Amino acid sequence: MKKNYDINALITKFKNNDKIALARLITIIENEPDKAHEIFQHFEDIKHDSYIIGITGSPGVGKSTLTGAICKKLLDEGKRIGIICVDPTSPFSGGAFLGDRIRMTNISLHPNVFMRSLASRGYKGGISRAVFDISLLYEAFGMDLIIIETVGVGQAEFDIYNLVYSVVVILVPGYGDAIQMQKAGIIEIGDIYDINKKDLGGEDIAVQIEMMLDDSTFQSGWRPPVCMTDAISGEGVNDLVQNIMDHKEHLELSEAINEKKKNRFRYKIKELVYSKIDKIISESFLNEKEIEEIITHAIDDGKFRIYHTILTKFEDVNFEIKKR
Amino acid sequence: MNDKKIRVLMSKPGIDGHWRGGIVVSRAIRDAGMELIFGGFQNVQEIVEAAIQEDVDIIGLSIHSGAHFAYTQEIIDLLKEKGVFDDIMILLGGVIPAKDFPKLREMGVANVYGPGTLTKDIIEFIRNNIKK
Repeated sequence: MKKNYDINALITKFKNNDKIALARLITIIENEPDKAHEIFQHFEDIKHDSYIIGITGSPGVGKSTLTGAICKKLLDEGKRIGIICVDPTSPFSGGAFLGDRIRMTNISLHPNVFMRSLASRGYKGGISRAVFDISLLYEAFGMDLIIIETVGVGQAEFDIYNLVYSVVVILVPGYGDAIQMQKAGIIEIGDIYDINKKDLGGEDIAVQIEMMLDDSTFQSGWRPPVCMTDAISGEGVNDLVQNIMDHKEHLELSEAINEKKKNRFRYKIKELVYSKIDKIISESFLNEKEIEEIITHAIDDGKFRIYHTILTKFEDVNFEIKKR
Repeated sequence: MNDKKIRVLMSKPGIDGHWRGGIVVSRAIRDAGMELIFGGFQNVQEIVEAAIQEDVDIIGLSIHSGAHFAYTQEIIDLLKEKGVFDDIMILLGGVIPAKDFPKLREMGVANVYGPGTLTKDIIEFIRNNIKK
């Protein structure tokens, strides 16, 4: 059993709208990021005109069900949609249980939708490293819309903000009080807020969000709307989709979309540069084994002396990188 | 930098309410360091489409309804029609009489697991047969 992962053959099929080829190119990009250039050199003339939406919120708030409901509405309007859903990789086993697709079975056979579940594979920030590259593949595949669903996030995983044009932050009844709303992080990145599971209440949360927004300034001129949905029955979903489309229109008319597009690339380029630096450092003078030796030495030297030990240890390291 | 993971779709074709087996095996697959996509109840078309889009190496079918021949044959036929049958291994589990095992293997199922199977045997079979 040997699958064909020949890039040139897959690209030809991909350009003929073949979903099997798209799926396999995603696998290559996820497993072997060094091959990204080999793939993307075939798409250099592609315009970046898919509209990219991010769905984020804590575990169990209904991100996947809502993503499915949003997609259903947009598929009915004739849109082509690419979905990326991220769930966490276990820090213990390296495995993952990806349970997003099961919430979207009702749209899974639609010819205009493609959905891929990803494990975070150790990447921080609520997404996986491959998310950006897969969104490029979706753009090349001709998707009108791309929806990226994050892992269930806490307060400080907001990389999604840098990767999409509209961020939908999902909350549920019982979320928290006025103090919780004032905190930095996830609660301030929404372009649209949605209180899901409205059948359980949540009007008070909507009011708290509005009050938090009253205390905010909006340089872009967009004050985020607050929606309420019941993703399972579909109640409120039309309103949510309308608000996302209004935000899209706002970004396009104000041309702020160009800044967002630039920011997306800035985020990825920075990540690529830093990962190259990491690689150079670990390959040239500090590999895992040497780091372990430093740790052992610092612990043996006395725990109150760790700062001192590290400082002196690094005095010995030659940090010169030779230019080619 | 290579990070190849074995990807498995776990699915229950048709409607029977016996979820426990599929969940237990899924958890074992997760704990073995593989990526498990839990499909839950899916019809034949949904299973094949999910397997293609998720680019899985294995489809795990959990069937307790007695309809294992019918569902498995339909899935195999559709995988063949889509041209991916040779790329994906099918494993079957559930309340399946031992006398049906040989015929299921003949149809193209890689292995069949009845009640009392140890999850470590399933994992070992996967590791021995999917090279990543």
